Amino acid sequence: MRSFFRAVIALTVVALAVPALAQDRVKSKEIVIGLGAEPRTMLAVTIVDWTTNNMLEHIYDRLLDRDPKTFKPVPMLATGFKIVNDTTWEFTLRKGVKFHNGEPFTAQSVKATLEYALDPASKSHYATASYWGPLKEVQVVDDYTVRFLTKQPWPNLIDHASLTNLLIMPAKALKELGPAKLAEKPIGTGPFKFVEWRRDERLVLERNTDYWGGPADASRVTFRFIPEFSTRMAALLSGEIDIMKDVPPHAVEAVERSGRARVRSTVSSRINYLALVNLKPGPMQDVRVRRAMNHAVDVDELIKAVLKGRATRMCGPLAPANVDYAPVECYRYDSARAQALFKEAGVEPTKLQLTLDTPAGRYPLDKDVSLAIAAQLQRLGIKTNVVVNEWGTHLDKIKNRNTGELFFLGWGPALNGQGTIQPLFLADQTYSSYGNNKVIDEKIARAVTVMDPKGRAAAYAELQKLVHDEAPWVFLWQQHDLYGVANTVEWTPRADEKVWMYDAKIVAR
Amino acid sequence: MRAYLLSRLAQTALVVFLSLSAVFAMVRLGGDPVLLFMPMDIQAKDVNEIRQRLGFNDPLPVQYARFVGGALRGDFGESLRYRRDALGLVLERLPATLLLAASAVLLTLVVAVPLGVVTAVRRNTLVDHAGTLATVIGQAVPGFWLGLMLIYVFSVQLRWLPTGGMGSLAHLVMPSVVLAAFFSARIARLTRSAMLEALGEDYVLTARAKGLTEPRVVAKHTLRNSAIPIVTLAGLEIGQLLGGAVITETIFAWPGLGRLTVQALLNRDFPVVLAAVFVISATYTVINLLVDVLYGWLDPRVRLR
Repeated sequence: MRSFFRAVIALTVVALAVPALAQDRVKSKEIVIGLGAEPRTMLAVTIVDWTTNNMLEHIYDRLLDRDPKTFKPVPMLATGFKIVNDTTWEFTLRKGVKFHNGEPFTAQSVKATLEYALDPASKSHYATASYWGPLKEVQVVDDYTVRFLTKQPWPNLIDHASLTNLLIMPAKALKELGPAKLAEKPIGTGPFKFVEWRRDERLVLERNTDYWGGPADASRVTFRFIPEFSTRMAALLSGEIDIMKDVPPHAVEAVERSGRARVRSTVSSRINYLALVNLKPGPMQDVRVRRAMNHAVDVDELIKAVLKGRATRMCGPLAPANVDYAPVECYRYDSARAQALFKEAGVEPTKLQLTLDTPAGRYPLDKDVSLAIAAQLQRLGIKTNVVVNEWGTHLDKIKNRNTGELFFLGWGPALNGQGTIQPLFLADQTYSSYGNNKVIDEKIARAVTVMDPKGRAAAYAELQKLVHDEAPWVFLWQQHDLYGVANTVEWTPRADEKVWMYDAKIVAR
Repeated sequence: MRAYLLSRLAQTALVVFLSLSAVFAMVRLGGDPVLLFMPMDIQAKDVNEIRQRLGFNDPLPVQYARFVGGALRGDFGESLRYRRDALGLVLERLPATLLLAASAVLLTLVVAVPLGVVTAVRRNTLVDHAGTLATVIGQAVPGFWLGLMLIYVFSVQLRWLPTGGMGSLAHLVMPSVVLAAFFSARIARLTRSAMLEALGEDYVLTARAKGLTEPRVVAKHTLRNSAIPIVTLAGLEIGQLLGGAVITETIFAWPGLGRLTVQALLNRDFPVVLAAVFVISATYTVINLLVDVLYGWLDPRVRLR
């Protein structure tokens, strides 16, 4: 009941406030961002959710950052790292950094944060095998040196330390206040401080003037949660918000014409693919049929006709935005080749009846793409029944191997090789569609433990070639992320879907 | 009166309990909740471990008993998605929903009842035809379309009102209008037909014969006698509004109960779904009770000894 009364009071207070106008925001250096979804918590290292972390990263820093162009790890709270031996990493920490409550940042903060994440009582998603599960122990060497000991050689640790998977919390506050209080009022070292979060409505942050990297240009950042895209767009055009996430391709012109904002787009690290399921009996067991499918689907046409060019074609399982990417040759659209391969496999395309499972509205034009693929397959006489699923049902079907021979799925932000290849090409994984290939099984098991960067690159390059030849998917594309950005804001979108306001500049126009 | 109220309260509790049980059974028939709140690279053994920890691997009767035990103490558990007390999440949204519902109902009554009365009294005149046309349009126009049009005109073109969100009275205008448009149309039509019926009654003839002025005849004798169906419908609609107006809330980014509930359903966030059903069914039955009490006040014949 207390939350009810608190909300009543908050309501009364805000009823008297009037929203700031666009021109006032330029003067006071405020930015308002319109997003479709809200964060799930304000507690760091607890819930794995990209939207949540996007906002938390404004408040909390990580050990390392990633260069938005090269995707290589660069210093953040750690100024450097070295590999001591196969299972020991040592990080050198930045000196003189303070949390928003004045507590100094030290090796103890790193240790306390990871111990919180791994403590079963925290029920953190990050304690699972795909995240910090392989970590055995954190050792404090001195105030500014910390060692990570792993259960087995774990080259991917560096990606976890530079992604959103390690947001450093203050050790003393965590101990004295407890996680529940930090969920109400997060305390980080980041460029912005927490002001308030009104669920389903807005999250307000203010500039941390003492930020170790220098203060941000924006004095105040407000994330507003507007689920309906038309409303988000109206908010952008009427000057209520400055940045809008996910402009649909058909609305690009309207934004550009408005004179108030323009569309900024970026190639995303999120990939889309059409799975050719070999984990259940059926024609997709045969590699020749899977290759034929790759020749039968005209990916370029899909990009041009359905996505209006807003996608970048992929030829193998990883995109160039992935640190472990190696180029492979594309399957060309070639119906004669497809016919020949079907014949070789003893499959008569006109007798083939396939089922394609797809979500609707989860990925850009997912349902439309699936229907277009069915139409393309029809050219060879293949009948494809497209089944549109509610998102939860789609996941259930994939997990229980209950989909048709084909399903559409997106994956990402796919930033390292292990994060894509391991969960998607092994039979025992939750959402895989392909597996039981002994050679690939062994190569994956080896690749994920190679510590030497050159050896790792070679291992993943070999895997990409193998996967490409096995054709477990019709390889489709990297999505493009489209943002509407007001003329008064200078900001470049990133491939990893982070709306990162430390980089944004407000200019009078 | 007291015995009556007590028995009604017992009925209310039973209704709430039964609807919770039905919803409990229905949500469990859906799929696995764990998949929807865990990241997609989760491994199968972790999925199973989490399911075990949360008790989803237990037999359904055991889960049901645990749920009933918790619910009786007002504990619906923790939201799977948000990791917060489920009932707290729901109650936090209630003021926004109450505010929007109250404002929509007020607007409805202020517009619809007079419109219904006027069209009935001026039957078959231009006023009546215009009013009927308006109500038909009000009922036929889909809420999402009306909402988007209002946003386009008043936010994008004229810049008088904010597109959505909550904050000032200005934020309340468009969502209330959209909700009220549909309900007003229904109430106005109902008022009109109820008034027409009452206007033909003998007691109206008597009232006029007594020499009462026409406004008094309409207000005191006709409207009050037509009020029962209006109150019934208004009660049902208030109950519906308190369950949240999903589409309107979504379009205007209004942080209400409907959006929370539908999102919880889609995300299989069972504790939140059940807490929401509890709050919604409880308010619904309380409103029904109030409507019944109001009947007694309006019509002495149904008043209780």
